[in-house]
Amino acid sequence: MFDKYVGISPKGDLTLLQLLGEKLNGKSFLHVNSTREGGGVAEILQRMIPMLGELGINARWEVIEGDAQFFDITKKIHNALQGNHEEITEQMWVHHLEINRKNSEKMNLEADAVLIHDPQPVPLIDFKKSGVWIWRCHIDVSSPQKAVCDYMTRYCRKYDAAIFSVAKFAQALPVNEYIISPSIDPISEKNRELTDREISETLNKYQIPPDRPIILQVSRFDRFKDPIGVIKAYRIVKKYNDCTLVLAGSPATDDPEGEAVLNEVREYAAKDQDIVILLLPPFSDKDINALQRSATVILQKSLKEGFGLTVSEAMWKSKPVIGGAVGGIPLQIIHGVTGFLVHSVEGAAFRIRQLLNNPEMSGQMGQKGKEYVRMNFLITRQIRDYLSLWYATENAGKTILEL
Amino acid sequence: MAEIVEPFEFKQCLSILKSTGKKAKNLRELRAIIEVISDECVFHHTYQYFIKGHVLEYTNDFAHWAGESLEERALSEYLSNVDPYDFLDVQNLRQEIIRVLDTYLAAFPPPREAMPGDEFYFNETVTLIFPVGVRARNLAEFFTAMKFVEPSSIYYHFYEARIRLGKGIDDFSRWIEDSFDKKDLSGRIRSIDPFMHSIQEIRTHIVSTVEEEVRRDMEVVDRCLTSM
Repeated sequence: MFDKYVGISPKGDLTLLQLLGEKLNGKSFLHVNSTREGGGVAEILQRMIPMLGELGINARWEVIEGDAQFFDITKKIHNALQGNHEEITEQMWVHHLEINRKNSEKMNLEADAVLIHDPQPVPLIDFKKSGVWIWRCHIDVSSPQKAVCDYMTRYCRKYDAAIFSVAKFAQALPVNEYIISPSIDPISEKNRELTDREISETLNKYQIPPDRPIILQVSRFDRFKDPIGVIKAYRIVKKYNDCTLVLAGSPATDDPEGEAVLNEVREYAAKDQDIVILLLPPFSDKDINALQRSATVILQKSLKEGFGLTVSEAMWKSKPVIGGAVGGIPLQIIHGVTGFLVHSVEGAAFRIRQLLNNPEMSGQMGQKGKEYVRMNFLITRQIRDYLSLWYATENAGKTILEL
Repeated sequence: MAEIVEPFEFKQCLSILKSTGKKAKNLRELRAIIEVISDECVFHHTYQYFIKGHVLEYTNDFAHWAGESLEERALSEYLSNVDPYDFLDVQNLRQEIIRVLDTYLAAFPPPREAMPGDEFYFNETVTLIFPVGVRARNLAEFFTAMKFVEPSSIYYHFYEARIRLGKGIDDFSRWIEDSFDKKDLSGRIRSIDPFMHSIQEIRTHIVSTVEEEVRRDMEVVDRCLTSM
């Protein structure tokens, strides 16, 4: 597994991974989350666990189990931490803790380092046996519901450290808080190199003309992703440049509004033959990859965003990306260098026209974007950061560590 | 017998970001926090700005925030003009940033607050330093390695070294002077303004400067042969 990243990931990251592997050789590293498959966390863990093993670390992955009531409660906690109003009673918190207590009796929690992912298994800290315990928060907690956040803080303060994806998600907690961005896997089905034939197959399947510039947005049909704004921008561009707009997204089972938004988008697109709306089935990674590789310009015109890893996915395919200046998007797009940050429909339209009319600039931005992702947003960097944090926690108080 | 030269061992530094939990939504809050925040935090937002893939419009995170989030262009120009390498330590640098902010606050009406989510977030880093596994025993090997080592290796030897060694000295020029007694060459490397170039430009400058020196040395040999 490790060898597959040689020549793709920065050499420095791979060197540091090996050096940290030597320092942490034979030690145990336990990850706990709430699902074995589906979602970004499980995707990363599936790759990360074998790689840690190759580095000489005894890595394990445990999944917390619970009843329907438990997952209903944790979904509410999740939503409340993201800013929605949710009623969480004392009885619910007791059930949350109780399910974690039962899991702690079944799980082997003995490890030199334990990384707890997201809110579901947070109370496991009450059953800590040994080692360094770190809480990894993958969600946007920049404006959480205070009462829920305060309750979670009771658990968080018992950890040795907490990790957030973006600096503005970090809360004023009485523990060391680190900022570690999420990442993409360059050898996964969604990001690997494709042949021209594989790309053509996808375009034929969805009847997308290959001979015209393609403007693409890949995202769920969610108002925060502003699909209507994307169509408005396309209509401004269309007055000057012939092009096809592709809006591609998968249905999200946990998003009841998805269908309503999709219908709004279809209605707004009316019968424009040059707008292709694709509701892709789950596991359409290869088709998404092909669409991104065939696009001329890629948009992520979000109005609100967590991290927005679709931006890094697009940049990895050497495409210039136009993104809304929200959430983690400005961390990925350096305005005017790896793409453009926009604040309006008009801004998006102007930048699309600029890129369509200047292929040389598009090409340069695409190349710089790919290199920026290589240096900052690949899975090897994320694993490197986890091990660095573990090593730093073992050497608490030092801000410079020489290996 | 040829003198044994201590090889140049390329190292690299990588950092993980640590939040201080503090944020500022306007200039007065920014000033108040800069006054009391850790040296490591001031260091990160100024010296370590050079390791980022930055646009040269700004030269530190404070200037970047003033320009992009508060849209206070004049202040971002004043802050961008603060050269961290002009100061003996972080404490003096901190005082200069505060002086610039105070002057601005006294002369101009208070600027608007940053939009929610666009506040200034104060961070620090934990830095890991490690050898990259590349050693140069002579100038030819050195400029060859310079072409491919990673940006954070050049940052460590060219920027970070100035804080370790002081007096505007970097690891590259020191090794060249100590090992080969080439004062002119090391002087030419020292004259590259770290403040005015991206890491990629620093790499290009050093490679071309050292390559020219090696070629000149080789040409002396050629001339000797021609005169025979």
